[in-house]
Amino acid sequence: MRRFEYHEPATLEEASRLMGTLGQGAFLLAGGTDLFVEIRERLRSVAHLVNIKRVPGLDRVEWSDRDGLRFGALVTAGQLEASADVAARYPNLHAAMRALASIQVRNRATVIGNICRASPSADSIPPLVADGASIETFRPEGGRSIPLAEFFTGPGRSVLEPGEIAVAITVPPPAPGSRRAYLKHGRRKAMELATVGVAVSLDTADGICTGARIALGAVGPVVLRAPQAEAILTGSRLDAATIEAAARQAMQECTPISNVRSSADYRREMVGVLTRRAVTQAMEQAA
Amino acid sequence: MTKTLLELTVNGEDRSLAIEPYRSLLDVLREEAGLTGTKKGCDVGDCGACTVIVDGQPVNACLMLAVEAQGASVQTVEGLQPGPDELHPLQDAFMEHGASQCGFCTPGILIMAKHLLDQNPLPTDEEIRFGLSGNICRCTGYTKIFDAIRTAGRRMAAAKSQSVEA
Amino acid sequence: MTKQDFRIVGKSVKRQDVIEKVTGEGRYTGDYHLPGLLHGKIKRAEIAHARIKHIDVSKALAYPGVKAVLTHHDVPKVLHYGSPHPRSASCTKDQYILEDKVRFWGEGVAAVAAVSEEIADEALDLIEVEYEPLPAVLDIDAAQQPGAPLIHDVGPGGNLVIPPVHIERGDVEAGFAEADLILEGVFEGGRPVPTYMEPNVCVADWDGSGKLTFWTSTQTSFMVRGALAEVLDLPQNKVRVLVDHMGGGFGAKQDLFQHEFLCALLARQCRRPVKMEFTRKETFIAGRSRHPFRMWLKQGFRKDGTLTARDMKIVYESGAYGSHSPGVTNVGTASATSLYRCPNVRLDGRAVYTNTPIAGAYRGYGVVQTYFAIDIQIDEAAERLGIDPAQMRLLNAVREGDIAPSGHPIVGRGLEACISRGIEAFDWPGKRAAGRGDPANPAIRKGWGIGCEMHGSSAYPGIREQGNATVKMNEDGSVTLLTGAAGLGTGAHTALAQIVAEELGVTFESVSVVHGDTDVVPWDIGAFASHTTYLVGSAAKMAAADLRQRVLARAAERLQESPEHLAMVDGVITVQGKPGQTLTVAEAMGPSRGIPAEHLIANGTYMPTKSYSFAAHFVEVAVDTETGIIECRKVVPVHDVGRVIHPIAAQGQIEGGIQQGIGHTLTEDYIIDRSTGRSLNAGLVDYKMPLSMDMPDIDTIILEAAPDPGGPWGAKGVGEDPIIAIGPAIANAVHDAIGVRFHHYPITPEDVLNGLRQKQENA
Repeated sequence: MRRFEYHEPATLEEASRLMGTLGQGAFLLAGGTDLFVEIRERLRSVAHLVNIKRVPGLDRVEWSDRDGLRFGALVTAGQLEASADVAARYPNLHAAMRALASIQVRNRATVIGNICRASPSADSIPPLVADGASIETFRPEGGRSIPLAEFFTGPGRSVLEPGEIAVAITVPPPAPGSRRAYLKHGRRKAMELATVGVAVSLDTADGICTGARIALGAVGPVVLRAPQAEAILTGSRLDAATIEAAARQAMQECTPISNVRSSADYRREMVGVLTRRAVTQAMEQAA
Repeated sequence: MTKTLLELTVNGEDRSLAIEPYRSLLDVLREEAGLTGTKKGCDVGDCGACTVIVDGQPVNACLMLAVEAQGASVQTVEGLQPGPDELHPLQDAFMEHGASQCGFCTPGILIMAKHLLDQNPLPTDEEIRFGLSGNICRCTGYTKIFDAIRTAGRRMAAAKSQSVEA
Repeated sequence: MTKQDFRIVGKSVKRQDVIEKVTGEGRYTGDYHLPGLLHGKIKRAEIAHARIKHIDVSKALAYPGVKAVLTHHDVPKVLHYGSPHPRSASCTKDQYILEDKVRFWGEGVAAVAAVSEEIADEALDLIEVEYEPLPAVLDIDAAQQPGAPLIHDVGPGGNLVIPPVHIERGDVEAGFAEADLILEGVFEGGRPVPTYMEPNVCVADWDGSGKLTFWTSTQTSFMVRGALAEVLDLPQNKVRVLVDHMGGGFGAKQDLFQHEFLCALLARQCRRPVKMEFTRKETFIAGRSRHPFRMWLKQGFRKDGTLTARDMKIVYESGAYGSHSPGVTNVGTASATSLYRCPNVRLDGRAVYTNTPIAGAYRGYGVVQTYFAIDIQIDEAAERLGIDPAQMRLLNAVREGDIAPSGHPIVGRGLEACISRGIEAFDWPGKRAAGRGDPANPAIRKGWGIGCEMHGSSAYPGIREQGNATVKMNEDGSVTLLTGAAGLGTGAHTALAQIVAEELGVTFESVSVVHGDTDVVPWDIGAFASHTTYLVGSAAKMAAADLRQRVLARAAERLQESPEHLAMVDGVITVQGKPGQTLTVAEAMGPSRGIPAEHLIANGTYMPTKSYSFAAHFVEVAVDTETGIIECRKVVPVHDVGRVIHPIAAQGQIEGGIQQGIGHTLTEDYIIDRSTGRSLNAGLVDYKMPLSMDMPDIDTIILEAAPDPGGPWGAKGVGEDPIIAIGPAIANAVHDAIGVRFHHYPITPEDVLNGLRQKQENA
């Protein structure tokens, strides 16, 4: 570890002000499970940590039929994993939470921290993008709500401004007949960073797919949607041939890179396999 | 750098420790509180050797600042024994089954297993495997660890049902 | 061997060292916090090959809290062995503590001691190093090119660590002429690392008399003492090396590491104790790996499956220093004379330097590589000749009287026993006749495979080893065993205590083990090469037998009987034919009626012969033909260990070895960027060891098929063996599942998909 100054603001106003006055070496601390690693491995030079854990009201998971799911900046992955509402209504998000790091890490890691770090392989992002989530922020001059799909600008980068703090995620309630799944590809069954992650969120009525959203993780600079693959599914009966065609299309809609975890070609191939399997699994789950 | 006074409960005992705010809970437990049973295997949350229970939740003590444990209740491997001459059923079972070889992962795995059995005294094999997925053991191949947890769970459940009947 | 009723040997008694492990009270080196302790850190090069033009530590020295900084200007200039086995004549002295040269990315170039770990870490950034880059040699091909840049100016030249090892028996050309089938292939293996859970750590403390006390996590404390004394120019009685509990080693903690010298030097300079603890990343960068290798193998077979000739050339990649390459190359090359009997062999083994991290000793020492290749090619031959793979192995298995790699005759028919038992226990014929599909998932193909291995107990004759033990009888009848063998977590100390209790005739609980203090315990070469139970166990048994005579002599005096008429069982001495007349060992030893208490002590020194342990591993895999992911679902390992001392500890060794072997074969590879020499996955997320959810069911079977006269009651080693056979067994099972042969490890999902595509194109 390296030394840093530590701050524990009591309010978002104070946190935001601190971040503004302390400048570039200041980082916001929520869960810390990524940040401490980056400090220890000298990937980030941190002069100040601003811990928002004492800020009240950020640790709740709420569900309502009308507004859907809302959870605050201090909600941990473990909390979402344990939420019966999430398990029942957002099985893709639930699966992503169970696949994220370890139980111990999930008890500290915040979901919004996982999102704000803006890693293309972050498990929490694909299901939330597929489910049409938005992120609410705090700014001294007034917060805003940003669709998650528009939040990321590149690996590790987002539209958050200096002093702006992400405070909550909202996810619309699933329509009746909604089908969801998240599949993660890794070499091991746990403690993995996704080689590829695929989330699907399908709306169905009378056996017809009325809407489809596919989000692809770890195969581009940000989590990507696959609009043309979605279009293939939409209006279909989700028969095997259509699913296969959509999976092949999704392979064309990603832009993977090669690194130590996998080659770009393999990632692209896995987008096809995982998309097909995720759609199939989503439909089987419902039946 | 100024120190902060950290007040917390460790294994049921109230402790006040003057600490630098940049120190991890792991370093403070090992170096300030004198509890070296909790091990540092990676210091980045990947191995689980430093697993402790904070306010009922298992966490990696390396991924938490000690100041964040202000007012918390922390349980480490040193707090597992029910009494000075008594072992926790898990400790007994680990010895019996040869579930500890080099022993470096053992404190973290015992804590994780205790949490698992407290929630679910008779876990399935799948649940045991899932429950330990954040704890690396490099010596045993895990087989003996699974055996020990099953044995301890059965004994704990039997003891519980006996005490209920009585 | 006469049948004997054992009271303690062969029973899974509670391991003596484990109570401390489950309570958290066991002291590991990193748990020592001495008053005034300073923390040391190493500045590591970020270049693979360079000369240091200039190194400026002034800013680091001026940093508040920094107590000392050492560079190559400040340390003794003594050429030393990385692998501290000075009795092994083949070792190459090729290392300095610090030098003005960098030979791999991550090599230490300076060291800092400061009042806290954080300050020491921060001070590293303030050390300025100016490098003159040298052309880096980053793989074995580049290293062996004529005119390749030389990494060392010692050694035989051409980037060879030692002169090539050449072994020839029979007439290879004649053997191939007899063959009906000749197979030829190239095999390769990656860079698995042991990844013990306890990162390397040491604490150095000098006293006023100039004596160094040195706690360190090592398998070879006497070697550490010897090397430290040599480099620091001290007599060995001024260096005391201590190691209590150890968080694993698997072979790799038997090198002398740069940080160990630096820690001692920093402590001497600061006149304060210094601790140096690796980060997890450093255990990769500055630790030791298995040797990556490439091997060309050609074997000839008759139609009936009999091997007629074997021609092999293997190149081990040593990395930047020689470390254990001499031993690995010798042992690995010689191993290819055996396993499957072959009258005509020609073997060439070499180790070459590259500008990559250091390969050292790791469980399976050079043999993992050769048997991986041989056992896959045997499987191919069986397939080509239409012979059942298990029968093919039975036909060719080495047996009683064959010449072992060490040159000794093999005792018994251990390998055949393992294969035969496994065929039955695994239901090999039934499995092989079953369908490869999985009704639950059409993408899955199942397959079954076998791998075999043998491994010597002790490093003899490569190293002229000896096992030593001292057994003391205390005046209250309790017994103290002193051993120099390290307790790296295997349970070997418990096995030694069992052996002493059994031979002496006392209870297991009355024996306690003292170890890990070079000032106190008898000399030991180190806990490696499956040596402790076999070699030190034999010495302990000799010492216990001697002590038993002395105890009985004293009791005889007490009882006024002849010692030959006395027996001692579980600490109770009885007189033949006089059932009423008994004496406990405590009564016999304690003072009584004018006879004072007496301290009895006995030493055992055992010079080994050589024994071999055997195993056959039977595995089931499931291959996802869409993702390429291979899942190892079931393993039935059958091991012949001669005589099992502690069944659960032996099983634990086997199951843990299988875990590591599965990792090496499927997911583990420490990857070095072949353009820069930088490591790409020095951490536990991207270096992928199998974890709880990845482990197969393992049904371990231990046989006492071929006891060895050299071990205690026939016992042989078990530590190295289990990591060897699992690799080829998996590769062979994958072939059985999908019809694709892989000649390398790890077999990645991408390899599987590419292999399936290739197969389709060929069809």
